[in-house]
Amino acid sequence: MKICPRMLSFLPALIVFAGLSFSPHQSLSASFEEEATTFVQNLAEKAIRELTDKNKPRDERIDQFRTYFNDHFAVSGIGKWILGRHWRKANEAERAEYLQLFEDLMVVSYVDRFAAYVGEPLHIHKSLVQDDNNVTVYSDIHQEEGGAAVRVDWRVGRKDDLLKIVDVVVEGTSMSNTLRSDFGSIIRQRGGKVAGLLEALREKTAKLRENDG
Amino acid sequence: MLIRLLETITKPRLSSRFLVLAFAAAMMAGCATAPDSNDPEAVAEYQEINDPAEPTMRAIFAFNQALDTAILKPVSNAYRQTAPEKVRTGVHNFLNHLRTPVIFFNDVLQGEFENAITTLVRFLINTTAGLFGLNDTASDLGIEFKNEDFGQTLAVWNMPEGPYLMLPVFGPSNPRDAIGRVVDFFIDPLNIWARNNNEDWTIPTRTAVDAVDFRALHYDAIEDLEKSSLDFYATIRSLYRQRRTDEINNGKVDPSTAVPSIGQFFDDNQEKSANDEISQNR
Repeated sequence: MKICPRMLSFLPALIVFAGLSFSPHQSLSASFEEEATTFVQNLAEKAIRELTDKNKPRDERIDQFRTYFNDHFAVSGIGKWILGRHWRKANEAERAEYLQLFEDLMVVSYVDRFAAYVGEPLHIHKSLVQDDNNVTVYSDIHQEEGGAAVRVDWRVGRKDDLLKIVDVVVEGTSMSNTLRSDFGSIIRQRGGKVAGLLEALREKTAKLRENDG
Repeated sequence: MLIRLLETITKPRLSSRFLVLAFAAAMMAGCATAPDSNDPEAVAEYQEINDPAEPTMRAIFAFNQALDTAILKPVSNAYRQTAPEKVRTGVHNFLNHLRTPVIFFNDVLQGEFENAITTLVRFLINTTAGLFGLNDTASDLGIEFKNEDFGQTLAVWNMPEGPYLMLPVFGPSNPRDAIGRVVDFFIDPLNIWARNNNEDWTIPTRTAVDAVDFRALHYDAIEDLEKSSLDFYATIRSLYRQRRTDEINNGKVDPSTAVPSIGQFFDDNQEKSANDEISQNR
């Protein structure tokens, strides 16, 4: 076949077109999106199935929720991000204690309400790929008591084959961002020391653990 | 969170005198300590928090919380325990219905004409089929409530929010939202009618019912938040700002929001390299 100049002028367009339709990135992100959507759906169903039994002793529910939380959330990653620049200043022992206390705080704060919350029907209506490793899954949760649907966005991160929730955004308010302000404020009040935050976390988690319901 | 009940028990003149007093007392609590100017990260954080009168604002917050504990919280709790759900939903719908003219006005000022029409249609449906706004028939038909206020309008007009403010009785705010509140108050047809006809009872009654409705609706969420946060003041400040940003963007995701990146979540090497950088700089 003879190639005439006119045909050549189509070449760039052709290449762009081919690039778009056969880009491995696009097909990967499409499946990543689906994967993340399924992940959030499963997470909600699992919460209803496993975490809603109010008759179980609280200690048992705490253990169960801890496992669930670690399975589905990037717990230490979120913890590190919340601490931000203070993470770098903390020594090894402080870091280890902080991550443990952060997990404890999340577990004892959410054990009594997470199931009640996610226990309501969850409608996923959209998902959006941010980059190769981050997808946001948008959902509405219809509350039992007459109120309007609550908008909940799940930020799902990926590392290799592992998917984890990195943030939950309720009506535009990010859990991670709010905790970052909360913890940051305590550190500032206590002389910029992570040790001050650890002290506050120890008191708070102990109090919440005692508190039944 | 939004404590607005005191307006109901104090006459306007008294409440303005009270505000002056509270303000004077709060000013004595002073300003936030500026960070060490040699620490750029601390300076950036200070600017981001944008709460230059923090000690004063904390004093006002403590006052608001005392007021909440004494009045709003017990009243809201009694309300949600005793009033049937149907009644509470009706009250909530009716309060939203009363806001419609102000919402419509702000839709127009923001150039959101499609939303303005939606607001108008909602008003017509809920006034008629919804029995003067007691039922939110429009939402059942898929035409959902969307709040607007003059604070949001000013934001759309690119006015900066200014420093964080904790208003006595009214709760978290900023100069932009405080101005918005005043403007919304004066353009509200119900308030204009009340002033012109000396129907003094309407404004405080509506404010009180609004406060109780809000507090009762978010009762558990507020309790949980207070229980689990280390610094309730800082938590409310963060939530207020995020919520307002979301409302201004009409629920569309703000791309500038800091998103925890997955790299930080799984990759310890990154943390190590950040560490090395710091030690090299020092």
